[in-house]
Amino acid sequence: MWKLTLALWGAASAMAQSPDGFFEKNIRPLFIAKCNGCHGGATPAGGLSLLTREALLKGGGRGTAVVAGKPAESLLMKAVMHTAGTLKMPPGPKLSDAELAFLTQWVEMGAPWGVAVGQKPETGKYWSFVPPVAGKIPAVNGWGKNPIDAFVMAKLVEKGLKPAAAADKRALIRRATYDLIGMPPTPEEVKAFLADESPQAFEKVVERLLASPRYGERWGRHWLDVARYADSNGLDENLVYKNAFRYRDYVIQAFNKDKPYDQFVHEQLAGDLLPDSGDLKTTFERWTATGFLSLGAKMLAEDDPVKMEVDIIDEQIDTIGRTFMGLTVGCARCHDHKFDPIPTADYYSLAGIFKSTKTMENFKVVAKWHEHVLAPKEDRDRLEAHLAKVEEKNKEIGKITKAENEKLTSAAKRKVGAYLLAAHEVRETVALAVLPAGASVLVEREASSFDAGNVAKTVEPKKTNVPKGGKGPFFAEYKIAVEKAGDYQIELRDEERGAGTADLYIGGVMVKKGEGAVQNREASPDAGGWAPLGIFRLEQGENVLRLQHKNRFPYFAKMRLAASPLPAGTRAPRTLVQIARHYGINASILDQMVEHMERSNGAAASVLYAFENFGKQRPAGEWTSPAAKLFEGFAASSREALAERYQALFLEVVDGAPEGDAPRKALRELLTEKFGPFRAPEDARDYYAETARVEVARLEEERKKLEAATPEFPQAMGVREGDKITDLPIHLRGSHINLGQVVPRRFLRAIAGENQQPLSAKSSGRLELAQWLTGKDHPLTARVMANRIWRWHFGRGIVPSSDNFGRLGEKPVNQPLLDWLALRFIESGWSVKAMHRLIMSSATYQMSSAYDERSFETDPENSLQWRFSRRRLEAEPIRDAILAVSGGLQLVNGGSILTYKDRQYVANTSKRGGVDYDRAIRAVYLPVVRSSMYEQFVAFDLPDPSVPQGDRNASVIAPQALFMMNGSVVLQHTRKMAERLLALPLADDGARVREAYELALSRPATGAEVDQALTFLGRIEKELPAEAKDRRVLQWQSFCKSLLATNEFIYIN
Amino acid sequence: MNRHWNSYLNEKLSRRELLRVASTGFGSVALAGLLQAEGQANPLTVKQPHFPAKAKRVIFLFMHGGPSQVDTFDYKPLLKRDHGKPLPFAKRRVVSAETFNLLQSPWQFKQYGQSGAWVSDLFPHVAKHVDDLCFIKSMWGSNSRHGGALLELHTGSDTFVRPSMGSWVTYGLGSENQSMPGYVTICPTQSHGGANNFSSAFLPAPYAGTPVGSVGVPAREARIPFIENKETPRNIQRMEIDYTQAMNREQLEHTGPDAALEGRIESFELAFRMQSAAPELQDLSGETEATRKMYGLDNPVTEDFGRQCLMARRLSERGVRFVQVSHTYKWDQHANLKRDHEGNAREVDQPIAALLADLKARGLLKDTLVLWAGEFGRTPTAQGSDGRDHNPEAFTVWLAGGGVKAGLSYGSTDDYGYYSVEKKVHFHDLHATMLHLLGMDHLRLTYRYAGRDFRLTDIHGNVVTDIIA
Repeated sequence: MWKLTLALWGAASAMAQSPDGFFEKNIRPLFIAKCNGCHGGATPAGGLSLLTREALLKGGGRGTAVVAGKPAESLLMKAVMHTAGTLKMPPGPKLSDAELAFLTQWVEMGAPWGVAVGQKPETGKYWSFVPPVAGKIPAVNGWGKNPIDAFVMAKLVEKGLKPAAAADKRALIRRATYDLIGMPPTPEEVKAFLADESPQAFEKVVERLLASPRYGERWGRHWLDVARYADSNGLDENLVYKNAFRYRDYVIQAFNKDKPYDQFVHEQLAGDLLPDSGDLKTTFERWTATGFLSLGAKMLAEDDPVKMEVDIIDEQIDTIGRTFMGLTVGCARCHDHKFDPIPTADYYSLAGIFKSTKTMENFKVVAKWHEHVLAPKEDRDRLEAHLAKVEEKNKEIGKITKAENEKLTSAAKRKVGAYLLAAHEVRETVALAVLPAGASVLVEREASSFDAGNVAKTVEPKKTNVPKGGKGPFFAEYKIAVEKAGDYQIELRDEERGAGTADLYIGGVMVKKGEGAVQNREASPDAGGWAPLGIFRLEQGENVLRLQHKNRFPYFAKMRLAASPLPAGTRAPRTLVQIARHYGINASILDQMVEHMERSNGAAASVLYAFENFGKQRPAGEWTSPAAKLFEGFAASSREALAERYQALFLEVVDGAPEGDAPRKALRELLTEKFGPFRAPEDARDYYAETARVEVARLEEERKKLEAATPEFPQAMGVREGDKITDLPIHLRGSHINLGQVVPRRFLRAIAGENQQPLSAKSSGRLELAQWLTGKDHPLTARVMANRIWRWHFGRGIVPSSDNFGRLGEKPVNQPLLDWLALRFIESGWSVKAMHRLIMSSATYQMSSAYDERSFETDPENSLQWRFSRRRLEAEPIRDAILAVSGGLQLVNGGSILTYKDRQYVANTSKRGGVDYDRAIRAVYLPVVRSSMYEQFVAFDLPDPSVPQGDRNASVIAPQALFMMNGSVVLQHTRKMAERLLALPLADDGARVREAYELALSRPATGAEVDQALTFLGRIEKELPAEAKDRRVLQWQSFCKSLLATNEFIYIN
Repeated sequence: MNRHWNSYLNEKLSRRELLRVASTGFGSVALAGLLQAEGQANPLTVKQPHFPAKAKRVIFLFMHGGPSQVDTFDYKPLLKRDHGKPLPFAKRRVVSAETFNLLQSPWQFKQYGQSGAWVSDLFPHVAKHVDDLCFIKSMWGSNSRHGGALLELHTGSDTFVRPSMGSWVTYGLGSENQSMPGYVTICPTQSHGGANNFSSAFLPAPYAGTPVGSVGVPAREARIPFIENKETPRNIQRMEIDYTQAMNREQLEHTGPDAALEGRIESFELAFRMQSAAPELQDLSGETEATRKMYGLDNPVTEDFGRQCLMARRLSERGVRFVQVSHTYKWDQHANLKRDHEGNAREVDQPIAALLADLKARGLLKDTLVLWAGEFGRTPTAQGSDGRDHNPEAFTVWLAGGGVKAGLSYGSTDDYGYYSVEKKVHFHDLHATMLHLLGMDHLRLTYRYAGRDFRLTDIHGNVVTDIIA
């Protein structure tokens, strides 16, 4: 039956149909997951190894495992089918029917095998691994302005295609302006270009745009896509990369300055290792550039630090591979790359380079990434010395705290008996009922009617009562007079408990301790109604009731008071603090003892079993704790007597009972257990001796001052050389626990060859890596970047899979052109601007986007460039264009608008982060918050910034329309645009319409269009609600909204 | 990358096909009907499963933080007996915090229903439905931190950004409602992977979870991004769109056929319709008083989660393929286990029971798969004096409806609930089983990206056939 089904699956892919592909897709993963754990390694189980085809055919102790082509005769098949007697493999659940079907088919196919693990890469001659060579420029007739056109034309001729006519000047300047600076041309710029009839007119436009600081904002953003740039970590713990923006600004400046690309690569991979330029600014710039290596999304809360480190290195290698070489090197982490000549050994050779690099300060949970301090050496030293001083204060505080805690807990340990009795009383205390309806309430006060206090008078539920800028403790005091002394029940109405409740003092004495906060809740649901605080004694005349909380005063609506409702003569239940006071013990430690007893609840293993079960019927011999021995034959006459017995025994232990006595050891454990009842309580400090408390407070104040005085310098994310330079072993199957042979740090052998100059034992090798990447013989780096530049101009690369030049990527549609461009790129001194000039001066670039039915039939995707592909603008230019035409765009040159501190959580567990995405600056300067991105970015295909992505989508989805209809940026700026149009000194509304067209679409409106617009304005006027103000503005805003929502506005011809 | 998706727009397509491309989930029913005959180009068109499905849709009740199995559904009498003693075997190699001796559950367990399932006093309402539930007691995962575990639960990978399970399901089956997104997540988390937990990663954008609100936003105020416009009256907005469309059509006459331009025209119509349909998501006024009460909307403790559950039912009823509701990051009791687990359970217990009862009463439970899960369990050993640490080695999830064996308890943990021991089920297995119930073979549900065929289960996953009815 399974075979039948399998046949239906066949469609999967070419990869699955080739024998090797079938093995790679269906069999190798199965071996790795289910078999190689035992049948891999140096000493495979039963002598059978599944690592190579040869080993498999040879078999193990039981003989050959597979007879190629004959499943029925193959021992392996019998073992997995469970038809080989007791030999059933793998241990545990039988393989699934599908897996069995795959294995059967594979054996039938003759057990084909892919590239064996550990085998050397066949360097092959895949085109991308062969360095580009200068080809002859094809001779084509009559068309074109530069060699690009000849290469393009040659391909067009091959397919019988003909190039489109030249674009008109308006289309051309609009195209070029969006292309180079990501904003629309102004009507003046269009006018000037139209007026310029010189042959250099377009060249001048290009030069003007290349010289604009806006150019780097556009092309830098392209680079940020492949640098997987973001302003937060995102992956698990979303911490702010507050200083990531410096890298972003560095990139923008690099493009503006036309920094040679080879230098750009060197700086990003090894800026810290370049020879000292003697100029501090240059040094800082280079350090900042290494942010490239640090910006990735990381698992910052990984309990296994070794795994965390290898995962971070993996991210770096994967990014470098894709970004610079268009290779998925990361695939070789667990197994030899199945398609490209990258063995696992080469992966760990590269990994060694990054293992020898310091990206992180630590691998704790939550881990801390390294940042460069951008300050001169003497300042950095000063900073270090200052931080050492802070640490010194911490130590001093720790010393006192430790001594005081010790005092506190030692005293408690000498009063175990009292703690037991007190805890018992607390646990026996019955909860009070709310005053019955009709109880005679003596006093009822609004919460806000306090007589003294430092909390806000007017508050809402779920809002803190603390006025801004206040300092705890926070309190409210109520003077309440009663006619006679006695017990009174006090109640609060609608008290919020989630964030902790207040302490209650009467006459200056604490009578009730507040409760702690509930985890992950700002305020619990309103309980609603009255709830008793307790029954307390008040004196005749005025009493001061004070509610106090250390840092957050909980909301309540009212307070009321009535005579104790308990029957006369009944003692009011005491609160925990009152009980502690009665027994002369510490309330917080008592609380811990209560908690301990709640948990243990008379458990048989507890040393307190006898006390906890006093008076209860328990089976004889149930007490399993060694402490039971100490109570053999002891019959307590009362709970107090039993407590005394415990007291005596614990005192013996405290005073040094001999070690090695099991029963006493059990007692000692209760006293010393890390989280036992006699640990130092969290609020221990409140109980310190006055002098110690003052001293700690003083030291803390000093520390605070010191911290506040920490010299602040700009910081940048980035890497430096590691503390240790080291080679790494191969991690078998990617596991950091399962290590193989150590491999030297070196570069990909398929490109650099077997005989590489060994890397120094004194440096990581990053600089050498960068130099190797940009060496003139490297087959990939220049091609990949030239292709990216082409892609960003035309919307489609010559190699369409612009991040993958490997066998699984797509092949170039015009390799001679790509190679020619790559070589020209190197010859130009790796100048990106030179490439722009070259490409934009071609007839290919200057073609119109006009449709041609015959060409469309042949090449619908326009992969050979028979016309200029019409393109949807990306997220950023769309937003920038809206702001630009409204006149509201504020130009800035870099900087960060994030209000968070470095390493702060940007989107935490209780709410999403607050970022002002409506700020009227260019989108490139808006933060990219991973896993909580700006919705407009998400809607318009900003790539997931966790992996390099040089080929953005241009989807058409409904959320984009919703943004154009309802987005706050659109609403604000269409209004602004309306106001702008109305403020212009123009003759009439017709002129306004024409101006709007020029602004938004860079062309004049036709007469029909003006009429249509005026009709529309009139209809809106009638439709507007009678009470609407600013009718003209609203009318025109509707017009602007409609205009900016058109296809023409966001599609570039 | 994502050529597959791009190429929709670049290839020569008929106008009708273009409309389908543009719909991306928010098409109209009429449009869907019009296009049905033409196959699969609309990414959310209903697709046939690999084999007959037992479940048509999923409701995932996510308990963020890690509810404790030994305090909820995995009854461990020995934990009580040996309270205070050390764990008699080794703890996991990598833990997130130090834990100490065994800590008994503060809650009593009782047996319920015909199946006699053990449930603690935390879930008195859910307990009444145990005969509809299928417990998997032997769950395990690989990551002991929230971020890693959340991503593993939602996407199968704790290392890379991968499509979420809701995206895979919608990719595999499309959606039965063409006026709403196929995958909706109500008030989702922003932390521990945030949107990566409901993103489509390399799958086309229409398969991403559409967030309705966000953590920290009360369910009654939750909205789809950009769905609201408080400034523009609806009739004016309609006129604006009509004017835009007129200009667009005029432009098309000059440009010649252009897939993207035509698609975008339709996308505005779809957006407008969706905007009209969306308020119905939140508007629970059509529900009877009895229903509202059953979900606990009359009680501030249960109101928020109750509202989420009721919205989930409404969405499922309307054919939305995958709905997730989140009880966000409350279950992480490293301390104050007793007080806070109790508070958490009170917020969700009644709404969950109401959802089960409601689905059943409406005949929806039989083909709706309900999944209740956290990202991991908790240690039976004590952290501090009143808490438990994360434990990915053992935890309980339960399933209901959608073709699972009702009243079953599958797999088991050791005597104390520290490790899963018998019939262990990894997240990958849970994913494989979920897909299987939906009629999909996890080995065949693949997507080609960066030169590789990816699966929800990567290279892992076994269908747990024993829990399938």
